[in-house]
Amino acid sequence: MALILLPLIFSLLAWFIPSAFTRLFGLLATGMTLAWSIVAVCYFQPEEQILIDFGLRFVRFSIDSLGFTMILLTNAVLFLVFLSNFTGKLVNDNKFASLALLMQFGLLGVFTTNTILGFYIFWELTLLPIFLILYWFGSFEKPRALLQFFLYTLLGSLAMLFAVIGLMHATNQQTYEALLVADINALGNTSIWLMGGFLFAFAVKIPLFPFHTWQAETYTKAPVAGTMLLSAIMLKMALFGLLKWVLPIFDGVATDFWRWPIITLGLIGVVYGAVIAIRQSDIKTLFAYASLSHLGLIAAALMLNDYHTNQIAVVQIVNHSIVSIGLFLAAGIIEQRLGTRKLSELGGLAKIAPRFGFWFAVLTFVSLSVPFTAGFIGEFFLIKALFSANALTGFVASTTLVLGAVYMLRAYQVPMFGPSKFSSFQDLHWSEITVFAILSIAAIYFGLAPQCLTDFVAHSLTQPTH
Amino acid sequence: MDSIIILFIAGLIGLFAGMSKKPVASILIASFGLIGAGLAAYYRGSYTSPFSTYAAYVPTQGMVIILLCAVTLLAILGGFKRYKSDDEHTGDYLGLILFSLCGAILMAQPNDLMLFFIGLEILSIPIYVLVGIDKGSSTSAEAAVKYFFTGSFASAIILFGIALLYGATGSFQLIEIQSNLAIGIWQSPMAMIGSLFLLAGFTFKIGAVPFHFWGPDVYDGASNAVLMYMATVVKIAGIYALVNVFGQVFRDSYFFWIDLVSLLIVASLFYGYITAWKQTSFRRLIAYSSIANAGLMLFALADIHNSNLFLFVAAYAVATIALVAINSVINDDSDAIANWEGIAWKNPLLGIALVLALFSLSGIPPLAGFFGKFSLLWSAVPHVPYTAMLALIASVIGAFVYLRLLLLALKKPSVTVSVKLSLEQIIVLMLTSVASIGAIYFI
Repeated sequence: MALILLPLIFSLLAWFIPSAFTRLFGLLATGMTLAWSIVAVCYFQPEEQILIDFGLRFVRFSIDSLGFTMILLTNAVLFLVFLSNFTGKLVNDNKFASLALLMQFGLLGVFTTNTILGFYIFWELTLLPIFLILYWFGSFEKPRALLQFFLYTLLGSLAMLFAVIGLMHATNQQTYEALLVADINALGNTSIWLMGGFLFAFAVKIPLFPFHTWQAETYTKAPVAGTMLLSAIMLKMALFGLLKWVLPIFDGVATDFWRWPIITLGLIGVVYGAVIAIRQSDIKTLFAYASLSHLGLIAAALMLNDYHTNQIAVVQIVNHSIVSIGLFLAAGIIEQRLGTRKLSELGGLAKIAPRFGFWFAVLTFVSLSVPFTAGFIGEFFLIKALFSANALTGFVASTTLVLGAVYMLRAYQVPMFGPSKFSSFQDLHWSEITVFAILSIAAIYFGLAPQCLTDFVAHSLTQPTH
Repeated sequence: MDSIIILFIAGLIGLFAGMSKKPVASILIASFGLIGAGLAAYYRGSYTSPFSTYAAYVPTQGMVIILLCAVTLLAILGGFKRYKSDDEHTGDYLGLILFSLCGAILMAQPNDLMLFFIGLEILSIPIYVLVGIDKGSSTSAEAAVKYFFTGSFASAIILFGIALLYGATGSFQLIEIQSNLAIGIWQSPMAMIGSLFLLAGFTFKIGAVPFHFWGPDVYDGASNAVLMYMATVVKIAGIYALVNVFGQVFRDSYFFWIDLVSLLIVASLFYGYITAWKQTSFRRLIAYSSIANAGLMLFALADIHNSNLFLFVAAYAVATIALVAINSVINDDSDAIANWEGIAWKNPLLGIALVLALFSLSGIPPLAGFFGKFSLLWSAVPHVPYTAMLALIASVIGAFVYLRLLLLALKKPSVTVSVKLSLEQIIVLMLTSVASIGAIYFI
């Protein structure tokens, strides 16, 4: 119970903390929730579930091993976000601390709720703080881009709300376990429409190819911490929803109907995102499109709904969080110290800031999925799964490796090497080094021993029925 | 019955207490009257009422009375600053509002169409006066005249509908009308036209398209204090009366009017939200928002046995009162939306109440507005799925309207001038904030 409620309590407390202590408070609060969840996971048997009930009719919680993985990921991401911005102005603002913690509460709710309406409620609840964070701390000159982000996701969410109401009416059930055994296939075409409602919401959030238009501008204009929250954990809600809720529940007619459309969109996103990323001159926009490319691959592989692929997809989800925190932190460091993100204005940083050069290189290699990193395990097995489904999709998916190398190496090489365009560049602060070190260690650990993750989540992934 | 009597007596005392020109005494009497009426409704049945033998009146559901009293209490507290400044008329304001509330309670759940009509008139006539009470202002007088003419027109339509129904069935009692209609009379032209006249009249009262046109002008001309009462209690009483009359009487002709109602819902939603978008005057924006919300309220007709209306109207009323109260704090004279810029920074309570009210109206969980909309749509979806789908699309436009206001209010100003709230404003904003969050426990 404290696992879920702790962030909410801290979020309310944050309003009363004097601004001199806010950044310490944020770090301690997120550190405490992280520590609490690590302790809790030590006592957790992966075969079991923890049930939590506050006496609400539509919102109940149960934590299984997949939920625990996501809880740990959320708490770790929040901790790293506070730690990586330790020198920035943002964390001194108690509005930010409170909203980020509120968002953490919403995310934990999404990952642990046991009822379909609870899933929707928490899903929407996360939108509220990120909207305010982007508005107050982002650099949106005009609210148009921000409103586009909000209304786009709201439209997707409302489609999901309609599907939720329809699903609850059609099956007369609301809990996860009851929905799993409900006979959705008997609904025929209705089940296809219901799944379409969910998929629309997810496609906007992930985002998949034609629904991605909000992404680049929002990522670019958002503060670094906001971008990290968005890409490292908020988008994972959609993948989690696909993995935990939609695919097992709609297994059958509806999944067969939507499989290839979604895979096609995902793979278009893989190639399209990568090609656009190659042409970008702004380093943050480049990483935004890279994110589009990576997530398209995960979504496509998830649609295969294969037991072993789903386990690997969890590894890749964790890996993408690691990579996106690292890369957006690097972009943030460059922007904070030099005031520019244009690749053409950067150069020669490795010489004057060797520590930054080293750690950015490590994260670049993690992002490139070189062997012994989590990305290698993830991408290799996902592409392999797509290959065995269809050789053409496998081929298209594998271009992510080549194209990824092109844009990532460019994103690293241009600012770091070449003639030095700046005389001074303050090297990494200890907090930033800690973040980079944690990320690198995690990436390498999951690259060497992915089975600790895959075996853990395997307990809560349903075995395919066909 | 007891609630109505308590309210009437409190209104009477308040009216005379107003002559002492002590506004605080008047508001205390009115507040105690409202609380007493709410308690009488809550404990009804646990004691023997001296009026229990009055047969023509079947008491309104306790929850609806409590809701009406609570909303009125918020409205008079929120408007107190205005009443106080006009201490010659404080007693008149409060007395009229309480008398009008008697009519609202009487009409909300009728069992007799004549009694319902009397309730409707008792509700309406004090409001005509309240709209025009600001005698110095020409817009106020214009609004009062406009509201009076259109309102009496609507009353006439309703009366005509009642007459036609009486002609078709020979009774004013809803139960008798229903049993007569059920044996096939509902197909007679007289009953059909009667039901359409009733629907038109009700649409007028709650301000849904196509009988919405009086709304913006009247809301604009009325003061914030009166608007708080008018935009909420009239609509709640009207929609409850509509649901009860149609749910009880016209059950059998459901498929005759439900398509028409769906059309009204969609038209109200899109018209209300799209026109609200470009408004520059706050009270007009509230008027258009209330047109759209009236459209949503009509969803209660889709499932007449289980309409789930309560949470939605409560959430709508609370959020609207919070917004108008905020408007009356910062913006009582000019009423321009541009004045909202940066007001969230002027006072923390103001900011919190504002964010909650706007997100609640946009229907973002876990606030009251979402649960209201959800429970309304929950029962409506199996009956009118396509209308519900269109309503969800319209509510994205609605979110746009409210977010525009929110972004304006949250814009960080270069210089912050803080605003001090008076005690009753603090109470109103706190209560509305708590109600917006606390709704999760009522679903």
